[in-house]
Amino acid sequence: MRIAVCAPQVLFERGGTEILAESLSVQLRQRGHEVEEIRLPFKWYPGAAVLREALQWRLLDLDQTHSDPVDLVIATKFPSYAIRHPNKVVWLVHQFRQAYELDRAEYGQFGEDPFDRATVRAVHRVDRKTLAEARRLFAISKNVADRLKSSTGLHAEVLPPPPQQLAYRPPQDGEYILSVGRLDRAKRVDLLLEAAALDDGLELVVAGEGPDRERLERLSREHGLDGRVTFPGRVTDDELADLYAKCIAVFYAPFDEDFGLVPYEAFLAEKPVVTTRDAGGPLEVVVDRQNGLVCEPAAAGVAEACAWLAAHQEEARAWGRSGKQVAERITWDAVVDRLLAA
Amino acid sequence: MKVAYFSPLPPERSGISDYSALLLPALGERIDVRVAKRGKTKPPRGTDVALYHVGNNPDAHAWIVDALRRRPGLVVLHDFVLHHLVAGMTLGRGDAEGYLDAMQRDAGVVGRLLAHGVVDQLLPPIWEERAEDFPLTSVVLDRADGVICHSRYVEAKLIGYGYDGPIRVVPMPAWPSPELGEVPEHEGRFPVIGCFGYLNGAKRVPQLLAAFERLRSRFPEALLVLGGSTAPDVKLDTVGQERGVLRLEHLDEQALWRSLAACDIVASLRSPTMGETSGMVVRTLSLGKPLVVSDIGWFSELPDAVAAKVPVDDREIEALAGVLERISGDDGLRRRMGEAAADAARTEHDLGHVADLYVQALEEIGGGSNVRDAVVRDVAEAAHEVGIDENDPELSEVAARAREVGLGN
Repeated sequence: MRIAVCAPQVLFERGGTEILAESLSVQLRQRGHEVEEIRLPFKWYPGAAVLREALQWRLLDLDQTHSDPVDLVIATKFPSYAIRHPNKVVWLVHQFRQAYELDRAEYGQFGEDPFDRATVRAVHRVDRKTLAEARRLFAISKNVADRLKSSTGLHAEVLPPPPQQLAYRPPQDGEYILSVGRLDRAKRVDLLLEAAALDDGLELVVAGEGPDRERLERLSREHGLDGRVTFPGRVTDDELADLYAKCIAVFYAPFDEDFGLVPYEAFLAEKPVVTTRDAGGPLEVVVDRQNGLVCEPAAAGVAEACAWLAAHQEEARAWGRSGKQVAERITWDAVVDRLLAA
Repeated sequence: MKVAYFSPLPPERSGISDYSALLLPALGERIDVRVAKRGKTKPPRGTDVALYHVGNNPDAHAWIVDALRRRPGLVVLHDFVLHHLVAGMTLGRGDAEGYLDAMQRDAGVVGRLLAHGVVDQLLPPIWEERAEDFPLTSVVLDRADGVICHSRYVEAKLIGYGYDGPIRVVPMPAWPSPELGEVPEHEGRFPVIGCFGYLNGAKRVPQLLAAFERLRSRFPEALLVLGGSTAPDVKLDTVGQERGVLRLEHLDEQALWRSLAACDIVASLRSPTMGETSGMVVRTLSLGKPLVVSDIGWFSELPDAVAAKVPVDDREIEALAGVLERISGDDGLRRRMGEAAADAARTEHDLGHVADLYVQALEEIGGGSNVRDAVVRDVAEAAHEVGIDENDPELSEVAARAREVGLGN
């Protein structure tokens, strides 16, 4: 088949969606399909820019090239699913969250003036129209599917993406709590830093880059965490595999996250995960005291969970092994079969 | 976003006044609403968007249309036909020219000539006989940024009338069923059929009486409760208890609810329709009572599970009698219709749901044209920079795609 995989690209950044689109393309090619990854730069501000970006996707013509049809378009994330195609399948990473559950909340972008309100409503209208056109709808997690249902009434089948293939090492005795991911406020790495401030036995490694890095580094200095927190920035896949192998546990507690690949990676590295009750997607895979700890979204709860795992490394290893069994069940064979059967 | 809210309100008595009294608290929980004082045509200070409730009664709504003329906004059109309102705002104010202009806008030279006939008293007032042929709705539509109506029927009328602005259909909200207290018992009487409201010719009272007479041949103990004041065109002098009819002329709100609750079936017939909805029907839904309605306008859109619909034609009386007999004779059907009615009140007509739809409409329409303009301006500027003119077919393609996703003008 000739397949176009569509995803927006936040310039000079590489996060979950980019990894998902790349991995999907690789997997499809490995199975003998011709694949093009279609990326358009995505900038969600100012004002109604998100709508202009949706219109740009709408204007693409992927019906055919050189008279040969493009058999299938797989769109992933707002606004790539605005694309027109007679065989459009959406594997929804997420809608434009600032227009939905993040609206009028801490991480929202739109104000109360009529222009902003109308922009939010216009995003809803774009979604209702363009997602309903899809021949089949999948969502990367139940959390994303539930949000889609409540915002548009559309039903999506849950289809979690397999985690990134790293050269996982045999797990070693843990030395630190690891945080992995883009550093922005919604990922709530500050919770982990505040936890370390409450427990001077905790050591942290915060891997990743992002707009919140400067604030987080300042916060760690203010809490006197110098020497106990390392910010290695963006790491290579090899370095990441090393970091996983040597940690006690992985902290991953964004607010109401769509899915989160990090818990799956942690599990493949046989490490337990510390998350919070309001983390959203991670709660679909992290089960309290089976493969991790689920605590209140407060520094004291996070500190207690991390300290417990540091003090009970035997249990931590067992929970990591238990998590691995969960992560290994999600395979690219199953994902590709369902996407192409659509 | 701050909303200026123009509507009749209690103690002014009208269906729209009751409607706003019900809606406002729920709307106020969701959005900043500033209610305009009656007669004040200037929007309350600092408001971003104005919402105008418009019905056909000039006494209640003329000042609201005056306010709309000062500042465009979102119009809630409770009646599609506004002839009576416009006549009141023109002829009623000694402005014959205004009436001629309004008629000309609706129906061209013929309209103007007819209006001359009315002004010169050579023809009977159009609003009494042929208002639906000359709805004069453009008087408000010309200034409407968008319209909220309550039925697909009115939506279709608006489109047919040539209105090309945004239209949102928002269901009537259901009143919460109040504490009823003592419900009248019509002991030994079955079925109890109710018909409530201002009893004018459009409520088909003569047809209902004739159908009820037939029903009594199978159900001799049937009772027809006619609740509400009577219009001059309806004669009820000869009907009374001996014909199985109970007249209740003066019903306050509480007594109305109790009387509705005492019914086995509520008939809410209508023809002609001006595109209006019926607060009585919605109250009946809240109480979970079976309904019989005319198959016309908004009433046709009620779910079949909730309301039996009677065509308005030569066989209306026969059909109405048949429907009343069928529902009266089937306990299971009455129960199912009642449950479906209560369910509709809890879902489709739920007050919170209706208020959410209002907020959606206000937010979409309040700044919608500016948002669309911003998107189109970006595209037009980029096109201009590379030498594509606004009349080039490439831009038509862009416009078509934009309209597909609700971003076009």
